Amino acid sequence: MSETAIRLRGVTKTFSGHVAVNELSLDVPRGSVFGLLGPNGAGKTTTLRMVMNIFAPDAGTIEILGRPADHAARDRIGYMPEERGLYKDMVLEEQLVFMAAIKGMGRKEAGKRLGPWLERMSLSDWRKKKTNELSKGMQQKAQFVATVLHEPEVLIMDEPTSGLDPVGMDVMREVMLDLHRGGATIVLSSHQMEAVERLCDRVALINRGEKVLDGSVAEVKARHGKNTVVLAYDGDGAFLSALPGVAKVTDSGQYVEVRMHEGADPQPLLREAAERLRVRRFEIVEPSLHDIFVETVKQHGKEAA
Amino acid sequence: MSAKLWAVVRREYLARVRTKAFVIGTILGPLIMGAMMVVPMLALRSGSKPLKVAVLDDTGTLRGAVEKALRTARFDGKLRFEIAPEEKGGEAALKKGVLEGRLDGYLTLPADAVAKGTASYVGRNVSNRIDLRTMERAVSDVLVGIRLAGAGLDPGKVKDLTRELDLKTIRLSETGEREDQGAAMIFALILLMILYASIIMWGQAVMTSVIEEKTSRVVEVMASGVPPTTLLAGKLAGVGGAGLTQFLVWSLSLFGVSLAMAGPLAGTLPMPEITPVMLVSFVLFFLLGFFFYASLYASIGAAVNTVQEAQSLVFPVLLPIIVGMVSFPAVLEAPDGALAFTLSMIPGISPLIMFLRIVVQTPPGWQITLSIALLALAIVGVLWVAARVYRVGILMYGKKPTFPELMRWVRHS
Repeated sequence: MSETAIRLRGVTKTFSGHVAVNELSLDVPRGSVFGLLGPNGAGKTTTLRMVMNIFAPDAGTIEILGRPADHAARDRIGYMPEERGLYKDMVLEEQLVFMAAIKGMGRKEAGKRLGPWLERMSLSDWRKKKTNELSKGMQQKAQFVATVLHEPEVLIMDEPTSGLDPVGMDVMREVMLDLHRGGATIVLSSHQMEAVERLCDRVALINRGEKVLDGSVAEVKARHGKNTVVLAYDGDGAFLSALPGVAKVTDSGQYVEVRMHEGADPQPLLREAAERLRVRRFEIVEPSLHDIFVETVKQHGKEAA
Repeated sequence: MSAKLWAVVRREYLARVRTKAFVIGTILGPLIMGAMMVVPMLALRSGSKPLKVAVLDDTGTLRGAVEKALRTARFDGKLRFEIAPEEKGGEAALKKGVLEGRLDGYLTLPADAVAKGTASYVGRNVSNRIDLRTMERAVSDVLVGIRLAGAGLDPGKVKDLTRELDLKTIRLSETGEREDQGAAMIFALILLMILYASIIMWGQAVMTSVIEEKTSRVVEVMASGVPPTTLLAGKLAGVGGAGLTQFLVWSLSLFGVSLAMAGPLAGTLPMPEITPVMLVSFVLFFLLGFFFYASLYASIGAAVNTVQEAQSLVFPVLLPIIVGMVSFPAVLEAPDGALAFTLSMIPGISPLIMFLRIVVQTPPGWQITLSIALLALAIVGVLWVAARVYRVGILMYGKKPTFPELMRWVRHS
């Protein structure tokens, strides 16, 4: 059994002169929760669509679970596109069984598995209703059931958090973690770092169709060093930005984030702050994925310019 | 058939068949068609009640004879006129009578009616051709009779000697001969209209279904499960199956009505016959026409975002079938002529015209075979193009593509 769930090598896709994805190589390890990150228009959706064989790449190869990405291989993937969609006039249970059937699962089998899923998503009372009659939140949950009903080994979700209410997100996160524990590989694409940071163990960041960094979340963070201090205090902290070794101070309201220069020691900062302010909290933290993301994209943009 | 294709076909079929519009259309269709066939024939036969007319005689001599002729004038065995008693007040009073509804109309015989052969009829309704023709005959007979008598001839004898030809038309075909009273042509036109409307209606259903998948964005989920060609094939088969279901119900009930009425009503009602050959070609040309136009409709649906946007693209696609529909009089004129032959060979036109030829004057077998072969070949071509446009188009949102862009889709996908 292959250790890699999805492997991309030199994948390139051009749309009428515009390079959407350029020479992209990625490895999504089996059993991981993988975050595909990047700003809007970076090429995330195009990449996922190529994995799903909705577009063929112009160049490069894609393997799924150790096999070329053919139709049989992608039946083992559950795919939730960014643009959610269900047939409006279809009764929920028929719709979900149909969605499983086009993924190669028999109707009987799908019908059997449907009950527990609807129960879990509290959709049981709605199984005879048409999509039109469901609320937006219920449609989201139904879409999710449609993605997982055929028991995929790999789950690909494009912007899974967009349009979800907090309750829906909690349910979905719980289910995703369950599937993950059951051995499924999960790929999430997002431009919302906070949501992804808590879920993923590996990430890849792409910008303008190219990969700018990837690795495990711990690795990525370590590579960017522990150079951020979270400081909460009473008093006037205006002097902080002028202290030696401080690169940037970001006021977040309840606390400030102080970015130190590469290799600068934060201890003098603590001493100075303790002297001149009432310090309530002082913590040396890893940079958030969001910061790394913004910084890397900026850098990448400069290099490209 | 692969399980996925079957799933798509099943969904598309059920999605159409379960709508109210389908159920109502399938049941009402035959009723309306039956009415379309039977009502005109009944209307032809049984007129309404006799017309109440007055005679305004300026000759002073003709009243008696004309009133008698009208009172005894019959059409289809029924008396057609009632004569109103003479009124004082001349034409003004008669006009008033007509306007007030006491009279249906009045006939004016001018002083020189016999010499010039003129008369006029004033009535509320002057479009009842059959009654007016009956009146014309009756009055004409009177005038001619007077002229003949004036020339010393016996009107009765002249009438005998100048009896006109009564031409009966009999359509001879392999299945036997049968008197044709024009009903066959009307019937052929009705079938042609049904064929035309069904092909367009079900083709349009395919387009709507493609557009709906785009607007509801369900198409990407579908595309991640089945290849676009399978999706298109399933859609055509599913919608086509629903169309065929309705079409079969319609044509079998037509066939049934025709059979049922041929027996007991033979002779009394001019019912056209439906031969099994006609029935089979009716269904066959519906299916072929459907696949031809539905493939084109599917590519339009894939290329646009809304039904409104599709309208401008629909017309050029429908041009052949419209040409077929408007050229039916020329084809009826000479069903084995060069024009009819040519039109019945052109794919897109042939489903209508070849069917019409089969109904009115069955062409040689090789022509039918050639027409079907050409059409089938064209369907393969159209499907090939449609599959390519469809594959690119279903995931394209935003601006409607131009024609050169569409050509690029076809070449590059």
